[in-house]
Amino acid sequence: MSAEAKRIGRGPIGWLGHMADAAEAIPGNYSRLLRAKRGRTIALTILGLLALTYPIIYQQLLAPFSRTVFPLPVPDETVVTFMLIFGIMAIGLNIVAGFAGLLDLGYVAFYALGAYTAAFLASPHFGSVSIVLFSNVANGFPGIHLPFWVVLPIAVVVAATFGALLGAPTLRLRGDYLAIVTLGFGEIVPVFFKNLAAITFTFSVAGTTIISLQNVNLTGGPLGINPIDPFIILGIGFGATSGIAACYFVMALTIIGIVVARNLERSRMGRAWGAIREDETAAEMMGVNTVRTKLLAFALGAAFAGVAGAFQASYLGATTSDFFQFSTSILVLIMVILGGIGNIWGVLAGAIALTYIDKSLLPWLGTRVQAVAPDFPNPSQFNFLIFGILLVVMMRFRPEGFLPSRQRAAELSVHGLQAAEEELGVEVETDNVEVAPHGQAELDRRAELPNEMEDE
Amino acid sequence: MTDTMMEVGLTGSVPDDQILVKARGVTKRFGGLLAVNKVDFDIPRQSIVSLIGPNGAGKTTFFNMITGAYVPTAGEISFDGHPIVYLKGNKVRSLKPHEVTALGIGRTFQNIRLFATMSALDNVRVGIHVHLKSHWWDSILRAPSMLNEEMDTIDEAMGLLRMLGLESRADTWARNLPYGDQRRLEIGRALATRPKLLLLDEPTAGMNASETREMTDLIRKLRGDLGLTVLLIEHDMRVVMGISDRITVLDHGEVIAEGNPAEVRANPKVIEAYLGRGAAEA
Repeated sequence: MSAEAKRIGRGPIGWLGHMADAAEAIPGNYSRLLRAKRGRTIALTILGLLALTYPIIYQQLLAPFSRTVFPLPVPDETVVTFMLIFGIMAIGLNIVAGFAGLLDLGYVAFYALGAYTAAFLASPHFGSVSIVLFSNVANGFPGIHLPFWVVLPIAVVVAATFGALLGAPTLRLRGDYLAIVTLGFGEIVPVFFKNLAAITFTFSVAGTTIISLQNVNLTGGPLGINPIDPFIILGIGFGATSGIAACYFVMALTIIGIVVARNLERSRMGRAWGAIREDETAAEMMGVNTVRTKLLAFALGAAFAGVAGAFQASYLGATTSDFFQFSTSILVLIMVILGGIGNIWGVLAGAIALTYIDKSLLPWLGTRVQAVAPDFPNPSQFNFLIFGILLVVMMRFRPEGFLPSRQRAAELSVHGLQAAEEELGVEVETDNVEVAPHGQAELDRRAELPNEMEDE
Repeated sequence: MTDTMMEVGLTGSVPDDQILVKARGVTKRFGGLLAVNKVDFDIPRQSIVSLIGPNGAGKTTFFNMITGAYVPTAGEISFDGHPIVYLKGNKVRSLKPHEVTALGIGRTFQNIRLFATMSALDNVRVGIHVHLKSHWWDSILRAPSMLNEEMDTIDEAMGLLRMLGLESRADTWARNLPYGDQRRLEIGRALATRPKLLLLDEPTAGMNASETREMTDLIRKLRGDLGLTVLLIEHDMRVVMGISDRITVLDHGEVIAEGNPAEVRANPKVIEAYLGRGAAEA
């Protein structure tokens, strides 16, 4: 047992040392993987490198030809950016729905909160004041103008706070009832943003006005807030018109998201979420504070949507309530389910695949169909029909998703200890780790025994 | 008769500091049903106490009140000097289940409730959760304190699995374990909460003779080696009579008998409750 010998030093120095050790171990681990699972490792390496360099490849090689040469549409940098925006959201929803097993149908609310927070804090919307902080905007320009790197953490905090607030009323609910309540929030929040363009509200008690609002334009109504400050560092813009810079920025956000979600999954919090997903009552009896743990899942999941929303607002330079319809909640949920609920890579793949179909494949198909038969309806109107059919087919033939999590993939046994060993670099003594016996038949037999039940 | 039984029984016969659990006037009403009625109950330290009674007698309800799952309609329960169920004003208050667990009460369930698609090791590690200090941000940053804590957790969990003979099953999903192993894993998960009192709800249900013998040996060992106090609900009378220091019999939510196995076995009220009036008179 080498655990004692390998204790990690405390504090930031210990942390740096551990990270350096981990980085040092990467080449060794990689060559070990290469020996053990050669084909798989090589394929994943190529896939990873392709993904990282895709924006450059697109810009340098594909863009000039894509509209004429290739038989299939290749996603351009805008589509890639949206793939990753939805990817971040799918990873966040996976924390709530996949790890903790809390079905959230109102996830779009936090996406909207992130976007509107960014819009409030970096736009000329509140024109009666002028606050400019570390921004490229000229002094005295109307509105609040904070730089994106200040806006982003604020949006995260706002989304996480509302995640916990909207999660609180659902704490005692399970399953279907939880879904219905979150569905309600998912419907309320977009309507809220759509209608808060002219708030007129007076409340007075015994002649004294407590609060009076006259024609307050909070959200810009159906028109939304436009323009929103672009995100510029050192002269490099990260907006929709700036090519691949935004692609790489959102890619960095996605990678941070993956790391955060993975670290949470492998922690005691991840185990507590798993326990709640499997059996909430038993989890509570075993000492898991279910209230705290569920609220944390809601808050951390919402934080991801806050990042996605704030980035999207700054990326597009505008935000309207149209982005935040209930159908967007469903779209993200479909991404999570199709991709493989519970598996971070699965939900990311789901987000990439569905965004590709939605924003690249169907519009391309549309132009082809229109060229041949101008009267035929455009296929891109049928996106939800196609997602629906995909979902039905998927549930019939592979209900666990493209890349299922270990839990969903029916029989996979040797994982917990090995994963723990790998992640901690500890070797735990096991003389003979056997592959799981199939105890289910035994269990079924037992279940048929007359069991003296005491139901209360 | 009841009065004499109460005198020779536990309540009041053991000095206060030797009592781990003290329940007074515990009552639970579900609508019109009086599930548990004014039960007084003491559990001495390091004893094995059984709670028996016919189906629907209120045994599991009583368990659920000790663990904070149900708030009693009336009464008080204290554990190791800490109030679990207490009066605040006129209202009966109860600690939350996870707070009770933190005080040192671990339990198993009548029908096994393991975390089915988590490994045996992770099931036990969830039990340790309540004693872990690291925060979620430590997990995100993989702080050294959290990593060290995780390593200790693995050691502790593996130690428990070894004690229960489940070491080789550490990586197996709970639901893929044979029935007897699942029962033992559930005890392991309860032990991981570092309990002083272990509540076992029908630990030998559905077991054959040799599995039952192993289980009773294990329960004795837990008391002997770890100094645990055990409260048991059990229907198998051979187990109950063989293992218990004290037995309390519930019927229709009331204590009808208390005492050591021999006393309870001879008590006509108990025979009547189980077999009917005719049998008691015969």
